[in-house]
This record gives sequence, C-alpha cells and structure tokens, in this order.
Amino acid sequence: MKSYWRHEDRTRISVSLPCRKKSLGKARGIVKKFAVSHGFAGDAEDIALAAQEALKNIIQHACPADNTMRFFCTISDGTMVVEVVDYGMGFDLAAVEEEPSSPLALHGRGLKLINGLMDEVSIKSGQNGTVVHMEKRLKEHV
Amino acid sequence: MEIEVEEKEGYNIVTPNGELDVYTVPLFRKVTLKLEGDRRHDLILDLTKLTYIDSSGLGSLIETYQKVHAAKGDVAFVIDNPRILKILKLVNLDQVFRIYPNVGRALQAVGVSGGYVDEEFFSDRNS
Repeated sequence: MKSYWRHEDRTRISVSLPCRKKSLGKARGIVKKFAVSHGFAGDAEDIALAAQEALKNIIQHACPADNTMRFFCTISDGTMVVEVVDYGMGFDLAAVEEEPSSPLALHGRGLKLINGLMDEVSIKSGQNGTVVHMEKRLKEHV
Repeated sequence: MEIEVEEKEGYNIVTPNGELDVYTVPLFRKVTLKLEGDRRHDLILDLTKLTYIDSSGLGSLIETYQKVHAAKGDVAFVIDNPRILKILKLVNLDQVFRIYPNVGRALQAVGVSGGYVDEEFFSDRNS
C-alpha cells in the first residue's frame, strides 16, 4: 500500500503507513511536525518517540492482515492525543505491561518509554486489533 | 550516522555521531562487535554527539555492555545531552551504566592504565 495522510481539519490528522520499518522515520517526522505546529515544540521529540515506539510494536508483534498501521493526532483543549491503531491479532496486555526483569533485559522497554514520555497512556487490545492511546498536555495547561 | 573509533590510554573510545535508532543500530552493532574481537576489551562509549535514541538504540547499548562485561572488560558511558540522559533514566539504565560528563572524567574514573593521565587531553575535550 501507499502511505497517505489527511488533515481532517486544523486540529486532526489521520495517517496510514505500510507496516514496515521504513515507515517509522516518516511517522516520527509527521508527528513531530504536527506537535510543533500546535505549540508542543518542547515536547515534540518525546511525543514523536512515543508514537514511533507504539508503531514499532505493531511491526514486531501485530502483523495486521492489511499490512497497514494507522495513527491519528488530535489537539483538544490544550492536549495532544496520539492514537496508534492496528487491526492485527491483538496481544496479551498483562505480558506486555510486565516490567522487564532487569534494566539490562534486551527487550521490553518500548512501553516503559511510552509511559515515561507521555502524560496519559492506555491500551486496548483484543481479537480485532489494538489501540494505543497517548496524551500530552501543553506545559501551561499542566 | 557516522561512528568514530579512537584508541586512547588503552581504551577504545567509540563515538556515534547522529541518531542511534532502529535504522542505525546495525552499523553500531557491526562496529562494536568488531571491537569485541580486539584484545583490548575496555570500552568508552562517548554519546556526546548522539542526537536521538530509541528503544532499539538502548538495546544496542545494553548488548555492547553485556558483551564487554562477559569478556571481563570495562565500559564507561559519556553523556552530556540531557535528553539522552532522560531516556536512559526512564528505563533505569542510569542505575546500571557508569555515566560521566566527558571523556576525561570517564578515563580517570575507570583507571587509566599505568596511572598515566594525559592532562592536556582531559582539559581540551568537551570543555
């Protein structure tokens, strides 16, 4: 598939990208630009990294049949929301949220990074896919 | 990303320049794994020229740390970028890695071979 993104209005953008590693840099750039354009310049790198980590999880674990990963960026009431969505097989949340056994474990720190970088994070996963919901509040709104 | 490798005071100093992420980790691994075959096992990872790191980059730092330690070597990290330090702290690696603000401090802390200290090197670098 080809990647595309659409500004639904000034405060929302929806993006679809092929489910492959090459898409991660593009996604990071799109999220960062959107964040900066809405006053989140100071947190843009954090938000973009969190989005990239969520998308990387899809590539590594979800394997959606349509080979597509989607995300939405929305600005509402001083908060930037990023939702990363896939229609893959879902996964066991308990296993993913389990802390790595040691800081030196080779894997399992993507979600820890997301939680540390964003103000609010929630994940819903089931047979029909997964939604990672992440929020960052503007500093003056905190 | 470019990676500089320098030998100083018996240590290999590896300086990745740019972003250490899912795209550049293969190059970083190639360089550090090559050094692993070096009889001088001790390593200083100078991350002062690193502009970005993701979870893949963190994994490659851990892998390098573990392999050098398995060979009874020593590793020190040089980090002066608050953002890179913040990322390491989020995953508690600051509690495991030995982190210094410049290469001179790192060399002093890990014990330069023979007790020799290159004062000029220490004062010039990252000052």
